[in-house]
Formats: sequence, structure tokens, C-alpha cells
Amino acid sequence: MLARAAENLYWMARYLERVENTARLINSTTHVLLDLPLGATFGWANLVEAAGLDELFQQNYPQADEQAIMRFLIEDVRNPSSILSCVQYARENTRTLREVLPAEMWERINSLYLYLRENAAIACRSRRDRYIVLNNIIEQRHAIVGLVSGTMAHDLAYQIIKLGRSVERADMTTRILDLNSAIQFPSDSVLNETLTERIWMSTLNSLSAYQTYRRLISMHVRRGDVIDFLIHDMRFPRSVEHCLSEIESCLKLMPRSQQLLQLAIRIRHELSRHSTKNLSDEALHQYLDQLQAKLAEVHNTLTRHYFHAYHDGDRPDKKSQSEIEFAE
Amino acid sequence: MDLASDEYASHTAYDELLDRDLQPRSAARPLFDYLNSLDEQELTARRQAVDATIMAMGITFTIYSESGNIDRAWPFDPIPRVMARSEWERIQAGLKQRLSALNLFINDLYNEQRIIKEGVFPAEVLEESANFRPQCVGITPRFGVWAHICGTDLVRDRDGTVYVLEDNLRVPSGVSYMLENRQIMKRIFPEVFRTTNILPVDDYPTQLYQTLAALSPRPGEQPVIAVLTPGIYNSAYFEHSYLAQQMGAYLVEGSDLIVGSDDVVYMKNIAGLERVDVIYRRIDDAFLDPEVFNPDSQLGVRGLMRAWRNGKVGIANAPGAGVADDKVVYSFVPQMIRYYLNEEPILANVPSYLCMYDEQRDFVLANLDKLVVKPANESGGYGMIIGPRATAEERAQFAELIRANPRNYMAQPTLDISTAPTLIDGKLAPRHLDLRPFVLQSDKLYATTGGLTRVALRKGSLVVNSSQGGGSKDTWIVEEGEQ
Repeated sequence: MLARAAENLYWMARYLERVENTARLINSTTHVLLDLPLGATFGWANLVEAAGLDELFQQNYPQADEQAIMRFLIEDVRNPSSILSCVQYARENTRTLREVLPAEMWERINSLYLYLRENAAIACRSRRDRYIVLNNIIEQRHAIVGLVSGTMAHDLAYQIIKLGRSVERADMTTRILDLNSAIQFPSDSVLNETLTERIWMSTLNSLSAYQTYRRLISMHVRRGDVIDFLIHDMRFPRSVEHCLSEIESCLKLMPRSQQLLQLAIRIRHELSRHSTKNLSDEALHQYLDQLQAKLAEVHNTLTRHYFHAYHDGDRPDKKSQSEIEFAE
Repeated sequence: MDLASDEYASHTAYDELLDRDLQPRSAARPLFDYLNSLDEQELTARRQAVDATIMAMGITFTIYSESGNIDRAWPFDPIPRVMARSEWERIQAGLKQRLSALNLFINDLYNEQRIIKEGVFPAEVLEESANFRPQCVGITPRFGVWAHICGTDLVRDRDGTVYVLEDNLRVPSGVSYMLENRQIMKRIFPEVFRTTNILPVDDYPTQLYQTLAALSPRPGEQPVIAVLTPGIYNSAYFEHSYLAQQMGAYLVEGSDLIVGSDDVVYMKNIAGLERVDVIYRRIDDAFLDPEVFNPDSQLGVRGLMRAWRNGKVGIANAPGAGVADDKVVYSFVPQMIRYYLNEEPILANVPSYLCMYDEQRDFVLANLDKLVVKPANESGGYGMIIGPRATAEERAQFAELIRANPRNYMAQPTLDISTAPTLIDGKLAPRHLDLRPFVLQSDKLYATTGGLTRVALRKGSLVVNSSQGGGSKDTWIVEEGEQ
């Protein structure tokens, strides 16, 4: 597979995963807002901050209210991570990948794009419309995932899609975990304990993890348990550790992956040694930051090693390097 | 017929589907039985379904403008153009005959030049040719074939005669639309495929694959084939990716390839470098290899010509094949067929006047108001004049151009190009069209079943180019007789 095509494929997978995660995050956040008592405030600005988009947001919007944030996250193409932008990029990438993807793939992604082009503005109109549109997007995205796993040869291209998806997913899980600091309670509320539970429940919901958590861990939603579950539990497909083990299994099937594989294994071992149950809010925040930095390291190494290997006259394959002497 | 628009009342051109009494020609009769069973509302609904399908399939072409590139939906007319198999087979034979002669001609030009020495083809035409590549002299590609993929434009005149308008031997495009048009029709009008025996068109990708695979320098091994595209901003990018997908080939850009000092072409893969055996290039000669042609080209691959000359890679169409894609050379094709094949041409050329000959030039200048004059090396309808539609002033200006560079111009009578019923505002109105079949040659010859029918959607217009208001139709070659 061409290095250029592989990079496009990797990013296509990341964009599509980001679309779904953003849609889920918005839906579950909206949901929890409805349960907040009078007097509690939700720092909308933190939503864009968690995604690392706060600066860009402030440049373009005077006020961080719900409507502005929603437009920014859903339909604003100035935001490269907005749902519409991600779908547009995924579609552009797919256009260059028609020869490596199942034939229907292009039609699916194209129709997701056409749907969003019609409905992105509608989604920003009201909470009700938003819920419907975002759910439709999630459904269409699932159809695409099904198409990939059900019809695509489990070859190199498939591994690269899985890599992109897993890197993005692990990153997003850390960001969603980091979000809960966004809610400030009225300090004297007697409801705080149940409220905290509600909010962590929403965290689980935004990752479709609530039901699984209840079944595997506990009927009670406790902060420490939820954090542990979402970071460490290998049984849950969106936990950070699970994503890292997915990355490992892809790398094992990829050519010349030794160095990258070692990196991924090292990060996962560090992760599993570290208990996260009793971290304070501040310590958790720092911990998640570090985790994001490690994932970025995986991404950067991957990009350098596989996609940009030829950029500075650097040849990736020692064997072919010695076989061929290159003209300039 | 109820659906026929009033425009048919004053109609003079040959209509592909309807005879002078507006009765369906026999090959088109089942189609019209079907169309007549639909009312205007139903037809309009199907039309909308067609538009929605085109959007969903994302069949687009790109238009360049100052405000950026726009991806336009492919304009498609749901009324197919129908031709009887018996007529098509004769045309098919003519297309193959023509391409074999053209390839013999190109190979002769780059080698012995017998046709010039024996006085059949004038040396001065070759001397002035913009597409002759001296870098290719002395080369004989495998099978002696230079133009592996040819798009031949056909039109029909008022009396029903089919003429070859031009042979596109450089990077002809449109075949993906031919294939997609059929897909659209199958989705939207599945019923009609049961009442008519329509010959399938979808073996083209396989035939193209085989044509290319035969050029591999490593016969016996599974060849690695790459489609070389200028990139996503090219107007035919859709087609490039479509064909790569259909053939299971790689879609590459120049920057994805590298030529080693062993003269082998490699692809930059994530697993390392992989050898490429055959390149179906969709970029012009001039950009192919900055080492040999345009040194500023960002699209090509340094050393590609070296690799090709040394037989390390197959390139289709071969560099230099465009020498026969020239409107003056065109007028000699009947002579080539007689000279190389010792056969009479099956397909007619439009009568042509070459301005390089004094007598013919005088005739052209005296009859500018009746003729179409075309420059030798332009495509897409650029730089030509349609005499009857031009002003006296425009004609006078054009006459100066001809006198200044006679070799560059040829003229033809204006044909009354045929029409076919086209769905316009719920009625079937006559619109002018042409037909571009695709012909392949390497070890074997192949011609598509039908081709891409392009239609001028504006009333009276003769311009079928999609960038200028043209659309397209599915083309049916039908088996007549017992169903």
C-alpha cells in the first residue's frame, strides 16, 4: 500500500471516529444538563477546552453559550474538528482511496456528507433537532464500521483503519474523562452526592459504557470505579488500555513495525501499573494530560515511520535501500 | 407519440430513436412501449430519482473557476440512446481497423517512415507536428502498439451516415461515465432491462486490465499496475480513481513513484519500495518526466522515460502516441488504412480540406461561411470557428490566422448532427449528440459495446462538452428480433 494512501486512510478512520465521539459527547452532555438542579452551572467553555479547541473558539465567538458552542462543534468549518469538517475531510480522503476500500464505502461516506450538509444547521436549531440529527449521524457511522468489518479484506488497509480508529478513540476517552471538571455545583447543595453520580453516569453514557459498567463493575456509579473502568478495563472496547492493545495487535500484523510495537507495549505497561482510582481532580487532570501526550507520541512515531518515511531522502526499508542505489 | 415535444415538428436532423413520422425506430420500439406506459408525473419522479442517485453515488466532474473548483453532479439524461447490434458491429469493426492502422502509422513514424518515403503521407505535416516526440525515435514498444487506449468521436449526419470526427489518442476520458450511466439506469429503470435485450458494457475494466497487463516487462508474474493521476484537482480525477478501483490497480501521483539507478520504477509503499510494471498514465507527455520533457513538471516522475526506453516499465498510452492525435493527420487515416492494411476503410472520415495545400486553402477561405475550421492540435472545441454561426468580422480574423499558419488548420463542412429524444421539462425534445466508443489494443483489439453518448442539453446547441452545458445518456446496443 502506498505511503500516501495509508496516511489518508489513517486519517479517514480518525475523522470518522471523531465524528461519532463528538456526536455522543454532545448528546450525553445535553442529557445531563437536564438533570442539573437550579443554581448549578455548566461551563460550556470547558467542552471546547477539553477538545483542545478553546483558542480557536475564542477567536471566532464572543460568547461561550450553548448555541455558540454547538455551532462551533457541529457545523463550523473553521473548526477542523467540527462534525461537518471531519465528515468533509473523511469524504475527501475517501475520494483518494476508492481503489483500496469496498465500493460501497464511498457511497456511504458521501451520503453521510450529503445528510450533514442538509442537516448541520438544523441540528443547531434546538436541543430536540440536535438529538435527532446527531443520532442519525451515529447510526450512519455504524453502518460504515459494519461495512468495513463485514466486507473489507482484513489486509493492511484494514489494520491501518483500525490503527486510526484506536488512536482517536483512546484520545477521546481521555478527553471525555477530563470533562467533568466543567461542572460547578452550588457549594452547599445537599444533592451533591447524587449529582456527582449523575454526572459520572453521563460520562459512561457518552461512551456507551453505562450498561456494560453496571453489568461488569457495579450498580453504583462511583467516580474511582468509573475512571478505572474507562482507563483500564480490557473488556470494554473504548477503554484506553483496550485501545492500546488494539494498536498492538494491528502493529503485529504490519510490516517493519518492531520499534513502534515496543513503544505501544511500553505505554500500555506503564498504564496498567498505574492505579487511577484515588487520584484527586487535579492529579487526574495531569494524568490524563500525560496520557494524551503518550498517545500523541504513538501518532507522531507512526506518521514519521510509515507515512513520511520518504520525505527527507530517508528510505524505510534497509533491504531495498541496499539493493538499489538511488538517483537523486 | 404523446411525449414528443413540439420541437420535433420543425425538426430536420436525423433522430436516433424516432423516424420522420415520429415513430420509434425498430431497435427503440420496446423502450417507447415502456416510456408510453409512464405518465409525465412518473417520468419526472424517475428524473428526480436519477438526480438523487447521481448525488449519492457522488458521480462528479470538476469545473475550474476563479472562485475555486466546484464539484458538479454529472448531468445525465435518463432517455437512453439506442442502436441495433447489427449496425454497431459494423462500427466496432471499423473502430478496430482504424486503431490498428493508427498504431502501425505511429510506429512507422518513429522508425522507418516508410509511409513518408513512399509518398503517402507528406513529410511537411510531420515536420510541423506539435506532438511528435524526437525522444521516442527508434523505439518499438511491445506489439508495436503506441496508442493502447483510444476514444473515437463519432457523429451521424442527416442522411444517417456515421462519421469519425476525431481520434483521441492522448489521454481520452469519459469511460467511467459510460459505466456509471449504465449503473444509474439499472437502479432507476430496472423494468425496462427485462423487455429489451441490452448488451452489457461492464467488461471494460477487465479488458483494460488485460490490455495493460500484457505490457508488463515481467510476463508470467502478476503485474503491478498503477494509474498515474495528476491528483485530486484534475477534472477527470473521479475517473482515475474509478478505473483504479475497478481494475484493482494502484492510484498513484508522480510523487509516489521513483526510478532507481537500475531504471526500475518503484512505488513508495509503507512496507518499502515495490516495483511497478505498468503505468496507465493520465497526464500529458509534457509532464511525464522532467528529465526529458517539461523540466518544471511536478506531476511526473524523474527518469520515467529512461525506465520505459529500457523496457523496465510499460506505459499506456506510450509517450509520443499523440502524434496521430492531430486534425491534419486525421485526414490521412483512410490512406493509412489502405496503405498498412490493404483494406478499404469501414468508417468514413468527415470530408476535410487541408489549408496547407494552396488549392484547398483557397476553397476554405472562399467558403468560410459554410465550413467548420479547426486547429490541428487543440481538443475540447477550443480555437475553432463554426463558419455559419460566426460574424463576418470573426471570419475575417480567422482567415488571417489560417494564412499565417496554414499547416495548423483544416476545415470540414458543417454536419447536421443527429439528435435523440431528451427529457426537457417533462417532454421529449430533440437534442444533438455524439458518441465516444473506447478502443483498446495491445496483444488483442477490443472496442466497447456502445460508448459514452454525450448530448448538448441546450436547444440547438452542438456543444456536448460537460464543462459547457453538455450531458450524457446511457447507450444501448440492443439485440433485435425474438425476445
